[in-house]
Amino acid sequence: MIVTKSWLHEWIDLDGITTQELAKTFNAIGLEVDRIHEYRVPAKIVFGKVLECEKHPNADKLNICQVDIGSCVRQIVCGASNVRAGLTVVVATIGAVMPSGLAIKPVKLRGVDSEGMICSASEIGLPDLGKGIMELDESIGTFTLGQEVNDNPIFNDDLIEIELTANRGDCLSIRGVARDLSAAFDRPIREYEKTDNDEKRGIGRILSLTHEKALDVNLRYKAIDLKELTLPFIMKLRLGQIEDTRKCDVEALTLYVTHSTGVILRAYKHEFFTKNDEIMAKVILGEDNKDYACIKAEDGRIASTVGIIQKDESKVLQNEGIILLEASYIPPDIISKKMADKKIEAGPMFYKTSRGSEPELEGGLSYCIDLIEFNSVSSTFSGSIELSNSFKEKIVIITKEEIDAIIGAKIDKLVITKILKNLGFDVSKSSTDKFVITVPQFRHDIVNKQDIVEEIVRMVGIDNIPSKAFMLKEDNRLEDNYFAYKKRSIFRHRCAQSGFFESVHFVFDEKKVLESYGFETTKKELELLNPIVQTLDTLRPTLLTGLLKAASANVKNGYASVKLFEIGSVFTPLREESYKMSFLFSGDKENENFANGGKPEKMDFAYFVQKIADIVGDVELREYETKHSLSHTYQTAEVFLQGESIGELFRVHPEVEKAYDLEQTFMCELDFTKIPYALKTAEQASKYQASFRDLSIIMPKDMSYEKVKNVIDANALKEVIRFYPVDKYSDESLGENMSLSLRFVLQSDDKTLQEEDITGAMDTILNALNSELGIGLR
Amino acid sequence: MKEWYDKIKQAQSVENLEDIRIAVFGKKGVLAAEFAKMKDAANEQKAQIAKDLNMHKSALMNEFTAKKIALQTQALQRAMKEEAIDVSMFSTKSSAGALHPVMETMDRIVEYFSSMNFAVKTGQIVEDDFHNFEALNLPKYHPARDMQDTFYFKDEMLLRTHTSPVQIRTMLESKPPIRMIAPGAVFRRDYDLTHTPMFHQIEGLLVDEEGKVSFANLKFILEDFLKYMFGDVDVRFRPSFFPFTEPSAEVDISCVFCKGEGCRVCSHTGWLEVLGCGIVDPNVFEAVEYKNVSGYAFGLGVERFAMLIHQIGDLRSLFEGDIKLLEQFQ
Repeated sequence: MIVTKSWLHEWIDLDGITTQELAKTFNAIGLEVDRIHEYRVPAKIVFGKVLECEKHPNADKLNICQVDIGSCVRQIVCGASNVRAGLTVVVATIGAVMPSGLAIKPVKLRGVDSEGMICSASEIGLPDLGKGIMELDESIGTFTLGQEVNDNPIFNDDLIEIELTANRGDCLSIRGVARDLSAAFDRPIREYEKTDNDEKRGIGRILSLTHEKALDVNLRYKAIDLKELTLPFIMKLRLGQIEDTRKCDVEALTLYVTHSTGVILRAYKHEFFTKNDEIMAKVILGEDNKDYACIKAEDGRIASTVGIIQKDESKVLQNEGIILLEASYIPPDIISKKMADKKIEAGPMFYKTSRGSEPELEGGLSYCIDLIEFNSVSSTFSGSIELSNSFKEKIVIITKEEIDAIIGAKIDKLVITKILKNLGFDVSKSSTDKFVITVPQFRHDIVNKQDIVEEIVRMVGIDNIPSKAFMLKEDNRLEDNYFAYKKRSIFRHRCAQSGFFESVHFVFDEKKVLESYGFETTKKELELLNPIVQTLDTLRPTLLTGLLKAASANVKNGYASVKLFEIGSVFTPLREESYKMSFLFSGDKENENFANGGKPEKMDFAYFVQKIADIVGDVELREYETKHSLSHTYQTAEVFLQGESIGELFRVHPEVEKAYDLEQTFMCELDFTKIPYALKTAEQASKYQASFRDLSIIMPKDMSYEKVKNVIDANALKEVIRFYPVDKYSDESLGENMSLSLRFVLQSDDKTLQEEDITGAMDTILNALNSELGIGLR
Repeated sequence: MKEWYDKIKQAQSVENLEDIRIAVFGKKGVLAAEFAKMKDAANEQKAQIAKDLNMHKSALMNEFTAKKIALQTQALQRAMKEEAIDVSMFSTKSSAGALHPVMETMDRIVEYFSSMNFAVKTGQIVEDDFHNFEALNLPKYHPARDMQDTFYFKDEMLLRTHTSPVQIRTMLESKPPIRMIAPGAVFRRDYDLTHTPMFHQIEGLLVDEEGKVSFANLKFILEDFLKYMFGDVDVRFRPSFFPFTEPSAEVDISCVFCKGEGCRVCSHTGWLEVLGCGIVDPNVFEAVEYKNVSGYAFGLGVERFAMLIHQIGDLRSLFEGDIKLLEQFQ
């Protein structure tokens, strides 16, 4: 919503209020200021009058004008097509510096002296008002020739653009904004006074209004016989300032009145509604084929859809002839509900009607008639024809105590009354103990007590309400959700400490790519309806692809080592949400530095596993085959933590590495909910010394360590507290076999182990390996 | 005897000194030889000779000990010098990773509210119309739905456009009093310099008996919170409109870049909009069948906070796993 100070001043007295104060007030009462523009015409630009105007002898498009600028008459060569004798114009005199930087000097144009420039609106920093120079008239108020243009408030005006919230349709007009200011400044709004006309011809002779069925629409018509309408300059200027487009003068004028008063106005050609050469226009309110209320002619042709759009065929394109002026009101909830159900093309007025236009139709209609009469020699038909629904009054009852409780401060009763009255509420039915408030029809947004309190809060000013701490009942609010959050936070810190950078990706990904790697994506019938781009057209089932993309981008940015992690939501084909924690480690193990001679080692499987174990705890890896094809066939593991499978860890498939321009890359994706987060219990540690013993087992090369491990796990005595592989060896003499060295840690809770205890324990293991797998010492 | 004093003084190494020690104090050493000579001396001289020899013995021993310490120290110094490195060559980049600034900001916010005894609640990303819109006083035709361009699924489910549905779910699952925040990802169909289709919000809700929770309470916690997040800033409340609160307000802080003087970031207003808040609309309580209660609610965008606090220029760079950005937070 755009207002200008001079335009507002027509509806409320703004004397003594600066633009800054005005903007501050707007913000304080909830009309957010989006933009302020100050129109300042430079000095030495004055009012002038074209006395004579003749063609330039050597140039078709130029005219030589004698212009009265008060102190003298100057000869000015002007190229505008609309220049002519008798015009009141704006003249940039010698010495003026235009907003463009152009300095006005005496010049010769095709051999003719020119001392100044007759200006168009855009040349002096005003909005572009179309071709040619400005043609001024008395609408700008009193002025004298030679007077600085900047002295005139119409030219020296400030524009404020307000960003209105969706509930404030009542402020979509100058008058509506003035009404809010009236409560803020406690100054009365200037109500428009209509002038009586003494026309004899009644409207009933040329117009009849009927309706096909009862619709929730208010209509009011006046008719006018239009002659010689010219739009005054001020109207053109202001329409330029509010950037409203207009095709013809009548439409421009109705737009101007709508912007001023908030009443939705349309002008129709009278003959659109007449049959043959009849004088009677039959206007019918009915419904179109989509059940929208519309205005029709007798033969069913539609003139307009109420509150939404007017058909070009019914518009008034000329400034002569009989026209019908219509003011309409339709409740905003009805029109928005309808639009949500069956969307149709809407014109510019829909924005206002869907947010609530001014329901008091007569004011806007007669203001429009007056403006037409004032700027033409038209004659208006007497009376008006209307169709209206009775309005059901909304009454809100609230006590001062309730108001104070919601605000949290004591507000004076008189202050409350004054605010409500200035905003147009009727509080006359109030008693000593409660406010009985009748809500005006234009405040669609006010229905309950809290709405009323909001009005008071706005006008009192939130900054004037003292803050108060809330006294709360002591209660423990640390519960599962909090601990889940805490767990996530702790693991994120661990990841960062282990060298990984946290990345956050959109939960969207590309279906085609995911499916090409074998991931199951959201089921077709549950898929996103309106993805933002094709590459983000499904919910991600994995964090892996996002990390790969990010790694690729980082490598392109020159990073030789990329370590990323993400903890985030993923979705099953049925859109069930769960948390995963995923890692990517690509390229160099560490930064290039002096110690590694500038050639750090490349990332390897063992190092990556160590990193993961540092974060989640002791992990056990088992051979595994992933369901997707991102993984290297022979370097893929299922990850176990405390005996439970928590996810997968693998080297990235060489083809995928190549596709993403990555060096050796390792990834891991874990089910975050399966990672335990509980208090640990300590076990009694043995007081006796631990012993170490190595065994080298000869076993087939293709036998997995997992098998060996399972056998040992199942058979080892309890003194064997830990064992792990430390070396692997093969040579020709071993043929298809290899030698695997295992280190055993033995410890007893009740004694220092003797050599025979250790040998005994080792023998048990060797026997089991021999009998179950047929393998043993060399 | 005299010469041995000089020899000890002149010893060049610990080994050299050891040789001297053997020559002087050893079984076949000078001192032993001198003591041996005593048996040939006259009896009346013996006492004097013994006295002299013992004096020399202890003086030489002192001399020797001092020299040994000096030589050992020298040797250690030499050995350490051998191990000298140019420490400046070992200046290095941190090899730690870093947390994402948005997640870190979220943590800081959660930390504040949980220390103010707000429970932390999380909901679901895929939501239905009731929890995301209807129950929040946003019926289908409501013009405010225009403000939130929504991602829909083919089965009429949607991606939550704000974290407010978590409030609804919490109210439906539990009874007042409620004091909670809901941190999480939210989604709107918007993609440009200042909008991404996914971003993060934190919403807060407090519900207690009717007449207990006031706008003044809301003002208190938000002023305190914003000072905790941004330091010594001015806080301003502007009345605004949200369908789920009434009265509603937007909260501005004085621009952290120009201290309120006016700059590009604050569009020369001196103020930055950071929060939306209000007293919970009775229609919301009606939707969850709460009676005789009052409450306040607020919501904020975590990315905006992170960008203001860390002076990050481009919103989109936050979602690209960009190490160039992230390593600055090591």
